[in-house]
Amino acid sequence: MNRIREVLKNQQFILVLALAVMVAFFSIKNPVFFSIPVFGNILSDWAPVVLMAVGETYVIMSGGIDLSVGSTVGLSGVAAAFVMRSMTTAGQNQNFTILVGTFIAMGVGLLIGLVNAFLITKARMVPFVATLATLGAARGLCIVTTGGGPIGEGPEKAISYSVPWFGPLNTPGIIIIVIVAICGLFMHKAKLGRYTYAIGSNSFAARSAGINVKLHLAKIYVLSGVLSGLAGMYLYIRLGSGSPSSGASGELMAIAAVVIGGASLSGGVGRMSGTVLGSLILTTVTSGLIIIGVAPNWNQVVVAVLIAGAVFIQGFRTWTKD
Amino acid sequence: MIRTSKKAAALVALAAAGALVAGVTATAARAADKITIAFVMGAESDPFFQAMKVGAEAQAKASGVTLIWQGDPSVYSPATQIPIADQVLAQNPSGLVLIPTDPVALQNTVTKAKTAGIPVVNVDTHVNDLTDVVSFITGDNADGGAKAADAMAKAIGYKKGGSYQVAVGLTSATATTNVARLEGFSKAIAKKYPGIKIVDKAYSSSQPSVANTNVNNWLTKFPKLNGIFAIDGTNADGASAAIQAKGLKGKVALVGYDAYAKNVKLIKSGVITALVAQDPAAEAKLAIKTLVEYIKTGKTATAKNVVIPNFVISASTSAADVAKYTYVQK
Amino acid sequence: MSNSTTPLYEVRNIGKQYGSVVALDGVNFKIHAGEVIGLVGDNGAGKSTLVKALSGAHQPSSGEILLEGKPVVWKSPHDALEAGIETLYQDSGLAPDLSVSANVFLGREKVVSGILGKLGFLSQKQMDKEAHEDLERVGIAVPASNRSVSQLSGGQRQAVAIGRAVSWARKVIILDEPTNHLGARQAAEVLQIIKRAKERGLGVVFISHTLPHVLQVTDRIVVLRLGRVVADAPTSTFDAEKLLGTITGLIETK
Repeated sequence: MNRIREVLKNQQFILVLALAVMVAFFSIKNPVFFSIPVFGNILSDWAPVVLMAVGETYVIMSGGIDLSVGSTVGLSGVAAAFVMRSMTTAGQNQNFTILVGTFIAMGVGLLIGLVNAFLITKARMVPFVATLATLGAARGLCIVTTGGGPIGEGPEKAISYSVPWFGPLNTPGIIIIVIVAICGLFMHKAKLGRYTYAIGSNSFAARSAGINVKLHLAKIYVLSGVLSGLAGMYLYIRLGSGSPSSGASGELMAIAAVVIGGASLSGGVGRMSGTVLGSLILTTVTSGLIIIGVAPNWNQVVVAVLIAGAVFIQGFRTWTKD
Repeated sequence: MIRTSKKAAALVALAAAGALVAGVTATAARAADKITIAFVMGAESDPFFQAMKVGAEAQAKASGVTLIWQGDPSVYSPATQIPIADQVLAQNPSGLVLIPTDPVALQNTVTKAKTAGIPVVNVDTHVNDLTDVVSFITGDNADGGAKAADAMAKAIGYKKGGSYQVAVGLTSATATTNVARLEGFSKAIAKKYPGIKIVDKAYSSSQPSVANTNVNNWLTKFPKLNGIFAIDGTNADGASAAIQAKGLKGKVALVGYDAYAKNVKLIKSGVITALVAQDPAAEAKLAIKTLVEYIKTGKTATAKNVVIPNFVISASTSAADVAKYTYVQK
Repeated sequence: MSNSTTPLYEVRNIGKQYGSVVALDGVNFKIHAGEVIGLVGDNGAGKSTLVKALSGAHQPSSGEILLEGKPVVWKSPHDALEAGIETLYQDSGLAPDLSVSANVFLGREKVVSGILGKLGFLSQKQMDKEAHEDLERVGIAVPASNRSVSQLSGGQRQAVAIGRAVSWARKVIILDEPTNHLGARQAAEVLQIIKRAKERGLGVVFISHTLPHVLQVTDRIVVLRLGRVVADAPTSTFDAEKLLGTITGLIETK
């Protein structure tokens, strides 16, 4: 009994186990699943989700929530697409155009993050309402500016960057893994993460310890915005166009990844490695169900079961606490 | 004081965002002597309706009438459309062009309009009971599906006795346009091209990235896949990106639906094999023409049911036809 | 400790209004180095408001605050901390999901040297070690300083919170109900810590409802009632009955 308890207390171990069981199950059902191209598909789905989820982890650890990440993905991708389209028309160098597009996408994410930070720390709105407002505004702007259709005619080379060359990984994927690792280090080894946990755990204690809570929250929402902006650029590279519907419901995927990763929505509890595994599990399910030929709508059911399982395990851990 | 103004600022910000989401801007009722045509469509975000808007605006100008163009910015749903339709009817327009998002739910709107003496024309989709509707003008989705099957057979070099695999990318399992196109496609395949097997179907929920994931996985799961039928623009987006990234341009045929400018360009570069184009602008023009005639004279020359034919754009289509059928977009 | 020397910390004629409600009305009091002041009063007497003004959490509407004879203005709790004034708030001292050492060093983390330190990377081992030493120095034995605070008992948590405040305080320490919810033995330990802080020359403000504790550990008692100071006298002049009478207003003092 004690052993089982110890194992169940280690959320990371359970997540790795769940992932291994899934991979084994899908591979037995259809051997095609266990192949580099399929892992490539999974990682290319994973990359934008994990970017949103990493930002969301910071926000949730601080006791907040960011509902605007999905819309930020859409708007940043669209904004980058507009700029890259006019640069392409003007005959600019393709790599340079893509680089500028990346900064535009990050800039849009930064702006939305600043708006969230302003609404939460200055206008004193609760994060749920503030980011709900930016969710609607950003998605609305996507549609107003594009008229609904995807914006293409950008650098033709963009899509070639989505081709895997390092096993199942492509260049943006490798960059994203590095970014995620850095964000993880800042979360667990640096002041940025320490203050985030402190605020989520007891914001009054954090404030009385002399931490500038508002400034710190602002940093976190801006970080979340910038990472979502990068996810928007990633989807542009993958599709060769900026679609106003990109990232729709992305906030739910991101929150699901964080929760499956073992975080508490009330803040203070959770680890970045959990989020990384949680998002990997989510995207593995998506590809696996297609490969074994299960009706795609089951995807949502499986995700729901995963979330319920994660919450159950978390409850179990609290329950067995001495 | 400061607290109050902060709260007020927050409320204003929220209201502004809300207005953006709803996208409903009330337009004041027009003078009684001028003809006003209200046009309540499905979802502004779809380029199909954008192209329709271009046609509607052109015809309104030509006929010298005022146009009230309304609809949800992004959600194709009766839940959002009914309140919009009610608000439009409250402005007492001379006539209503309605694209019902649901054949049952929007019946009541037609009845309301009839009671208020406002004639109604349906475009694209229709309500169940067409008694009170002056005319129903649509593209033929089943015919579009059949034409896609022909284009697919041609693209994969169909020969009798051969064996071929195709997959179909849809947006949802229930949208009437998807259902009709898939039915037309499947029937034509069964009848004319028995060697083609539809090996899989998947749904994109209107997101190109989801469509892309679906196609990526098909290309791995079915290494012998001959072709993909992308049932709408979103699926064509996702599929074309997947085919390009996997270097399968020209090896896997891609037949799409709807002539979005971006996808028409991809025909030229060989990623998309063919596109079934509807003519939303023509549908809208005819709808407004019909209503204006009916309001002025009490009758119309337009038939009760009008089917505007589809057109298949491929690499061999003339530049003039490509220009004519490509959806106009901002 | 004679009144002729400059007080370590002093408030003069402090007032605080919340709208039309007057929470503090012309409050004066002083504290000298190595002195323990008991601050008592019924609920709503203005104790919390006064603590917030002393710790920099709120700015008073009127009056002035002097540290070592010089006027000071606290814009945030951070300013007061920087100046050497530590506050332990009632029931809110710690972040339960963080470790003991993370709590002890919260807001004053040690970073590694070099560029990584500039980026805020923490020197966790050093903090674990120093936290342990600091807590021992003020007389608190805590199992392991890398354990999460949520795994500690209520008494241990309170001990860590007080230890944290005492070990950081350079001039004044304000303790708001530090013996609340504690058993007799643990409360006695807390009082012991207060005595050690006094020996180190800190000024201690001890806020409590538990009058025996106040009588046991303080040098002087300040009684607040309805936002005013109604008594300010050496502890030796009070007994339990007189103190209670002063707090409730049954004994008129002025």
